[in-house]
Amino acid sequence: MKRRAAGCIEIETDLVAAAIGEADAGAENRVAAHVAKCESCRVEHSGYRAIDHQLGVIREKAVDVPGVARSRERLEARLDDLRSRIVAYRVFDSPLGPVLLARSEQGVVLLEYLHGRRDPGASRLARVHGIEAVEDAGETEGLYREFRAYLDGRTQHLSWPLDLRLAASPFQRKVLETTARIPYGAVVSYKRLASDLGQPRAVRAVAQALRWNPVPVAIPCHRVVGASGLLTGYAGGETGRKRQLLTTEGVPLVPAHDDFAVARGAMYLLAPGDSEYCLPSCASTETLQSGLLTYFGSRNRAEAVGLTPCTSCRPDLHPLHEVN
Amino acid sequence: MSDRTFEALMSEHHAEIYRYILRVTGRRHDADDLSQETFLRAFRAHRTLPPDANSRAWLFAIATNLTRNHFRSQKRRRVAYQAVVTETRETDEERPDGVTLSQEIGTAVEHVVAKLPLKQRLAFLQRKVHGLEYDAIGQSLQCSAETARAHVFQALRKVRRVLEGRELIGKEFAS
Repeated sequence: MKRRAAGCIEIETDLVAAAIGEADAGAENRVAAHVAKCESCRVEHSGYRAIDHQLGVIREKAVDVPGVARSRERLEARLDDLRSRIVAYRVFDSPLGPVLLARSEQGVVLLEYLHGRRDPGASRLARVHGIEAVEDAGETEGLYREFRAYLDGRTQHLSWPLDLRLAASPFQRKVLETTARIPYGAVVSYKRLASDLGQPRAVRAVAQALRWNPVPVAIPCHRVVGASGLLTGYAGGETGRKRQLLTTEGVPLVPAHDDFAVARGAMYLLAPGDSEYCLPSCASTETLQSGLLTYFGSRNRAEAVGLTPCTSCRPDLHPLHEVN
Repeated sequence: MSDRTFEALMSEHHAEIYRYILRVTGRRHDADDLSQETFLRAFRAHRTLPPDANSRAWLFAIATNLTRNHFRSQKRRRVAYQAVVTETRETDEERPDGVTLSQEIGTAVEHVVAKLPLKQRLAFLQRKVHGLEYDAIGQSLQCSAETARAHVFQALRKVRRVLEGRELIGKEFAS
């Protein structure tokens, strides 16, 4: 094998760089000077330039490889499928403890109280099939701001679009839809809800459906209480958050039996199907089961949904002492 | 990055990523699979990509990574099954559509490039065909820009050595 001169070895890298247009001016000059007097390096240099030229040809004709279009079509189909499964989530530290907020393209899929843990792995999301959970990159930020405003009492309505894909059955979906219609600042019982659904005996099933409500607050299951007025439970846990939410909405509560109860005696009430709200002492409601009535924390709340004061008990003339 | 921007990204770079993987693997089937996988991965992550990121280089990095994993797992399979593996690069005869690979993307240079070690091939194609910066190539191969450059130069030397003495080199550019 022919030995190369030290000068040729030394300049070799610069020579490659110069031939493919990646050398700085200094290196260019050194290479030019060297190849002017070295025949083998001149050949090498032009060899690299020829390769570089061919690469230019390859770059130029890089259009229209058959198969690309078909591959792109298959990709689009797979992307559509992925898009429909993707749910972006984020954990926020809320006044109700850490909550996980998740949304799909359609709307909010999940608002979950993480019961003290900030670990998204503890979330229901990790156990649902057919969902691809990805970390949020800002999609839930605005949703959370609205949630905070709600908790602070600055707004009475969450304008979230909802995606109820986690509702397990048509029955649960029906329960959730009916619950969504309970107005701000009002409470009804599980029993009343079951009766509204046309299944008056399905009280426990209604309670179970609400226990797994994927979007509490947005679907206000905190406005559903026991027939006796006791708060009974909330989101599979104790009732502290339920108390907070109801208090924010101006619903008066009193301690009762290791729990809290709605202070019905201090609330306005509405009989099923009626459009007038009454004082708790109204004679026209005496014969009705208290578990089937709707209770309002204030006249404002009742009138906000279009109700008028009862013309016999006249809550407008003898208002209750309201909490706020 | 918004979903609309992602659509634009896909329109702009899908064909290029497909061609890149086709050149690296030499197999249409792999180019199809791996380019789709590249964009599915990119879609899962694109929302967290900083607005000033070089999204083209990012796509190349994903494609490069997937391609390397693909070859690695292929190698593992071969070892595991002790299979007698024949050269599976697409030959001209295997092409169903009658278009030969050499007509399509082939030149003397590309045939040599196809035989380069994988890292050199990846670095070389990214630099010399797709014009990526050494920084980006280094990131895609998890090495420094200098090492990426060394891979490219090493590849060039091999290509030149193999082609030395052929018609291709010498006439047109010899001074």
